Amino acid sequence: MRVKQENRRGLRYVTAGDIFIALIAVIWGAIVLLPFLNVIMISFATEAEYASTRVFLFPKAPTLASYQQLLNDGRIAIGYRNTLLVLLMALPLSMFCTVSFAYGSSRPGYPGRKFIFYFVLFTMLFHGGIIPMYLLMKELNLTNTLWSVVLSGTVSTFYMIIMRNFFSSLPESLIESAKLDGASEWRVLWSIILPLSAPIMATITLFYTVDRWNEWYNAMIFLQKGSLQTLQLVLRSIVLESRVDSIIVSSGGSIMYDKQNFTMGLKTAAIIITMLPVMLVFPFLQKHFVKGVLIGAVKS
Amino acid sequence: MEEAKTAGPPGSAKGRIAALIWKHRMVYTLLIPGLIWYVIFAYGPMGGLILAFKTYRANLGIWGSPFVGLKNFDYVFVDAAFYRSVLRTLTINIGRMLFQFPMPIVLALLLNELRFSKLKRLVQTVLTFPHFLSWVVVASILINTFAYNGLVNSVIKLFGAETVNFLGNGKIFVPFLYVTEVWKNAGWGAIVYLAAIAGIDQDQYEAAEIDGASRLQRLTLITLPNIVPAIIVMFILAMGNLMSSGFDQVFNLSNAAVREAAETLDMYIYRITFLGPPNFAFSTAVSLFRSVVNMIFLLMADKGAKLMGSEGLLS
Repeated sequence: MRVKQENRRGLRYVTAGDIFIALIAVIWGAIVLLPFLNVIMISFATEAEYASTRVFLFPKAPTLASYQQLLNDGRIAIGYRNTLLVLLMALPLSMFCTVSFAYGSSRPGYPGRKFIFYFVLFTMLFHGGIIPMYLLMKELNLTNTLWSVVLSGTVSTFYMIIMRNFFSSLPESLIESAKLDGASEWRVLWSIILPLSAPIMATITLFYTVDRWNEWYNAMIFLQKGSLQTLQLVLRSIVLESRVDSIIVSSGGSIMYDKQNFTMGLKTAAIIITMLPVMLVFPFLQKHFVKGVLIGAVKS
Repeated sequence: MEEAKTAGPPGSAKGRIAALIWKHRMVYTLLIPGLIWYVIFAYGPMGGLILAFKTYRANLGIWGSPFVGLKNFDYVFVDAAFYRSVLRTLTINIGRMLFQFPMPIVLALLLNELRFSKLKRLVQTVLTFPHFLSWVVVASILINTFAYNGLVNSVIKLFGAETVNFLGNGKIFVPFLYVTEVWKNAGWGAIVYLAAIAGIDQDQYEAAEIDGASRLQRLTLITLPNIVPAIIVMFILAMGNLMSSGFDQVFNLSNAAVREAAETLDMYIYRITFLGPPNFAFSTAVSLFRSVVNMIFLLMADKGAKLMGSEGLLS
């Protein structure tokens, strides 16, 4: 009761401290927001307007010219196609392995339960790194196929544990009664557990999607062919590698396009097009982690 | 229990386990797809670390290549560039602990004290967003912002001051790493602390208010002590990365002009492996060194946290 009263009073009496705190928060927010706005504005402006603006560009006659030029250029389309292909191949595989493993390891009582869990947990502590991974992909003849990118990150142990925690929290009686009716574990997972798990399935799918969307390093190492470049690598080649001063980037994986200098409009349009899907799914991501899906996992 | 009888002599330990395994056979089929992946693509590369003790022959593969003992490490430990990169990585990461690590805590406290709930939600949304972008995208945006003719320099010019070469100056590069990391991830990092704050028993605040505690006193005497366990967990996690220093960030933000300042251990490994004639065995030795040191730091931080009476991370 007291807390409620305090809140009501709090809204009426705003102190100088409140204003000060709000001011700092607003400034911090503006520092993060302004670079985004600036990039968006430049992408809709003409090159001449960009060159003549002194501080913050606000295009008087917004134009889609940069986007048109970018789409005509074709490489963003190649990047989109490859990244979408990776998603198409990786998501079903990732979800299948993650869900079945998480449910299996959440079941009580089977011999080796603890060992298998620690076997998997250890991979979070220690891993082989990129070089043995690259040589493994080479020996499996997977380099220069999108499968190398798909298979190098199929299961995220972190997401698997989130899912396992969720399955563990479901009432055991539900599963037991289904088993009494003669349902197998797979059957229980498919027709009892999954219908109850829609929110967490959606969340984990989204997290895998965003991770895949942002993935660039493995793709840079494993894929030498220009026609296989994923979206992030295309963006790298347009924005970062076309800088005059940039020579550090000439790795085996990413020399593919002649290093011409792109206009600012083209570069910023490429940035926007690359992050647009993340912007679109962000509200859903936020809704779910605010619900504490992730925080519960971090704690345990 | 019917199955227990068929699987072995009743009462024998072996038979009981076999019966249990048989009873749960479906559970193992659930585990198999994931386990196959873990064995090949997580433990496979781990086994590939054996290469650190071999000399790599492409035609023989990792397993067929001949052993050379610790010879690769002999070469690693006489390489001056290796020592420089280790030292640089440690320096950068100690700086990260000092300047970067506290920022999500500060932000969480700030947001918690912010009493206009709509503004709070808006600011939190804005600050969390960059976490979900890759460093390729973030570096592209921030390089645009900090370039000679970028947003920051035009504001500096507006005030009549000299423009700053943010991107091509080795001295600025390291602080630039701290600032950009906070820009990208402080909002996300704050969520853990905000959750810890939300879990604090409200009675404590009420009692403090009756005792006449000021806002600052409530912050330092109740809120802060209550989130110490969360801080320790995050600290342990950060310690585990003392030998890695955000490769994605450094790689995408750096350029030829700051190559020296940007050569952390990760960048050194990348350079010797993929830029120039590759010596995979040598690179593997360096990367094994990094992984082992990281794990030792993590275990040490965990021990330290437990000695201080905290729960720690690994039970």
